[in-house]
Amino acid sequence: MRRLVAWRILTHEKGRSALAIAGIFVAVLMILLQLGFYASVPAGGMQVYDKMSFDILLTSSAYNFEAQSFDFPRRRLYQAASVPGVVAVAPLYQGIAPWLNGPGGRRDVYVMGFNLDDHVFNVPDIEARRDILARPDMVLVDRQTRPSFGPLTPGRHIEINDRDVTIAGLYTLGTGFVGLGAVTTSDLNFIRILPTRTLGEPNLGLVTLRPGADPDRVAAALRALLPADTRVFTRDALAKHEMAHWVTTTSTGLIFGFGTIISIVVGTVILYQTLATQIIHHLPQYATLKAIGYHDRYLGGIVMVLVLIMAMVAFVPAVVAAFGVYRLVRDMTLLPIAMTAERLVGVLALTVAMSLGSALLSIRKVSRADPVDLF
Amino acid sequence: MGPARDLAWTAAALLAWRNLMADKPRLARSASGIAFAVLLMLIELGFNHAFVEASVDLIRQFDADLVIVSTARYQFSARAPFSRRELYEARSVAGVASARPIYADWNNAMWKSPADQSTHLLQVFAFDPDEPVFRMPEVAAHLAELRQPDTLLTDRRARAFVGRGAAGVDSEFARVAVHVVGTFALGPNFATDGTLIMSDRNYLKLLGAEDAPGGLPDPDFGVVKVAPGYDIGAVRTALRAALPGNVDVLTLPELIGREITFQKELSNIAPIFGVGVAVGFIVGMLISYQILYTAVSDQLPQYATLKAIGYGDGFLRLTVLQQAAFCGLLSYGPAWLVAVGLYWALGRLMLLPMRMTVGLALTSMALCIGMCMLSALIAVRRVIRADPAELF
Repeated sequence: MRRLVAWRILTHEKGRSALAIAGIFVAVLMILLQLGFYASVPAGGMQVYDKMSFDILLTSSAYNFEAQSFDFPRRRLYQAASVPGVVAVAPLYQGIAPWLNGPGGRRDVYVMGFNLDDHVFNVPDIEARRDILARPDMVLVDRQTRPSFGPLTPGRHIEINDRDVTIAGLYTLGTGFVGLGAVTTSDLNFIRILPTRTLGEPNLGLVTLRPGADPDRVAAALRALLPADTRVFTRDALAKHEMAHWVTTTSTGLIFGFGTIISIVVGTVILYQTLATQIIHHLPQYATLKAIGYHDRYLGGIVMVLVLIMAMVAFVPAVVAAFGVYRLVRDMTLLPIAMTAERLVGVLALTVAMSLGSALLSIRKVSRADPVDLF
Repeated sequence: MGPARDLAWTAAALLAWRNLMADKPRLARSASGIAFAVLLMLIELGFNHAFVEASVDLIRQFDADLVIVSTARYQFSARAPFSRRELYEARSVAGVASARPIYADWNNAMWKSPADQSTHLLQVFAFDPDEPVFRMPEVAAHLAELRQPDTLLTDRRARAFVGRGAAGVDSEFARVAVHVVGTFALGPNFATDGTLIMSDRNYLKLLGAEDAPGGLPDPDFGVVKVAPGYDIGAVRTALRAALPGNVDVLTLPELIGREITFQKELSNIAPIFGVGVAVGFIVGMLISYQILYTAVSDQLPQYATLKAIGYGDGFLRLTVLQQAAFCGLLSYGPAWLVAVGLYWALGRLMLLPMRMTVGLALTSMALCIGMCMLSALIAVRRVIRADPAELF
């Protein structure tokens, strides 16, 4: 019955309801977009790490962020392998080298090299092509590599650091903040391309733990064992470090998410005002219901149902639109802007809370509504 | 028709102004609401602009009419050296007053923070102190000190975590002890967290060995000054004819334009700020609509009276539109002033070159007036519907 009354009120003046729902839609969409931009910056810093297989990461003590990781002695990995709980260690080599695709087509490309016997990337396209990478001067290219690198056709010859290499295939990982293009190859091909580097000095050490081992405890043991030239990150610590670097240290995240707080405040105000106006507009009808004997509690129920219906009718398309804009911005900026379950639930909770809040505030007006006053 | 139309326009403007001024406290409230939305747009626009500007700020400091670069150069912040003999060649071209080298490196410039001994890759620029190439007065003031071994200038607007250094501070560069003799103000960008400037001799000693054992390394930029009385375009054509095909001769604005194009490829961040501007626009429209709607509703009897005595819909529409435009302009002023202050504060805090340019001011003003007019067009429908008979 309450739902029916609420529905009738909603559909009585369709234009007005549509306008109110549009207001809520804008508010929710705005909040979702700004939160997405804000989160995309640390996500960009973590994009490559998210597809790497490790529980603990070893780096040089000079480590700043992924593309500026510096190198450290490989023997630290062997030392790490002796710590209880560690089942595997794998070195990863990274470097930047000029990629040449015809006259004038010089671009710096990010090169990653790994030992083909190790499991390093959780990327099927890389895993499936280990046998090709075992051949000399073969590289796999990230699909996000920008068009200015020329066509990424498998079989095509290019020059990286003046060495003739062949594109053996493509993979999907993302270039995050490491550069405009990325290639992955074997460790041996890596030092063929970058002959000044040595396999004795990797940039990252990927440590895999026995299932059930506590990463924090093993990390503490590693810190106690390894000298000061090596830094030990658990996955959580690494995520915090990259987050701090991209959001606060470089303020990039703050700038991208500048509108986040504003959008939450403004969105909340719009939400409240739209709903409150809608309720007050129908005050005479509520007063009439009161006059013919309905209780305040019953009227309150109607208002609650009404705002919840409106909020939900606006929320669903707002989420759909947010997915659309995320996709559009992702294609245009190549930033990993993605919806997370936490964000959806958080914004949903905020919407419901604001709807009920504005309902509760307006209900007081309804309960004060005196039928005699109104007509 | 012309004068009558002008008269109607003026009458509508007068009425719009009176309507607006009728309730000053409400005007203040409305204007501050709209100003908030305008401020939001101004800041998003400012960020977008500053991101691009930050990447070309150093190029603007080149004291050059023309710049010689390798044809392999596709971005400012990556090495693409060319043979220094092209510079000797360039000096022989008529109209060239000077052709000076700038050396640069982005991959090996390891700077140790004097504050906490952490290591950071910065960008380093080097030049011959006898042949200055930068416009920055702080650089010109320290030429004598830069001639001393193992000295450099640091960027006092570099990101704090790299350790900015100050005159008199000792630190390490490329694993060698160096002495900071002064600072200049530049700021970080997407490519780098800070900049160092030193003499060509120190550059050779600290970084050059790998590139060119025994001699000066190849320059990354050739800074050309055109002699008085010569046309820059003509000298450029002559230079292009005289130099081989592996170098190109660009004007400073061209080099800046290329870098801006590259930055857009690297990180097309415009959509992110575009969404921010759109949000400001929509919020502004909602606020402005609500204000105009209330104002129009309150004055409905007056509008109806005007209609009853024979004014047409066009006049009423004009009045409301002008009222919206006045309201937008009144809100724009304070928003602009606050934005200038915020640009200054945010620029200092986030180390971005936030500058209020004429372009930014005009764009935001157009957006402000546009959003007010759009909401007026919606709000005015209520006036048009007003029936004098119903109202009294």
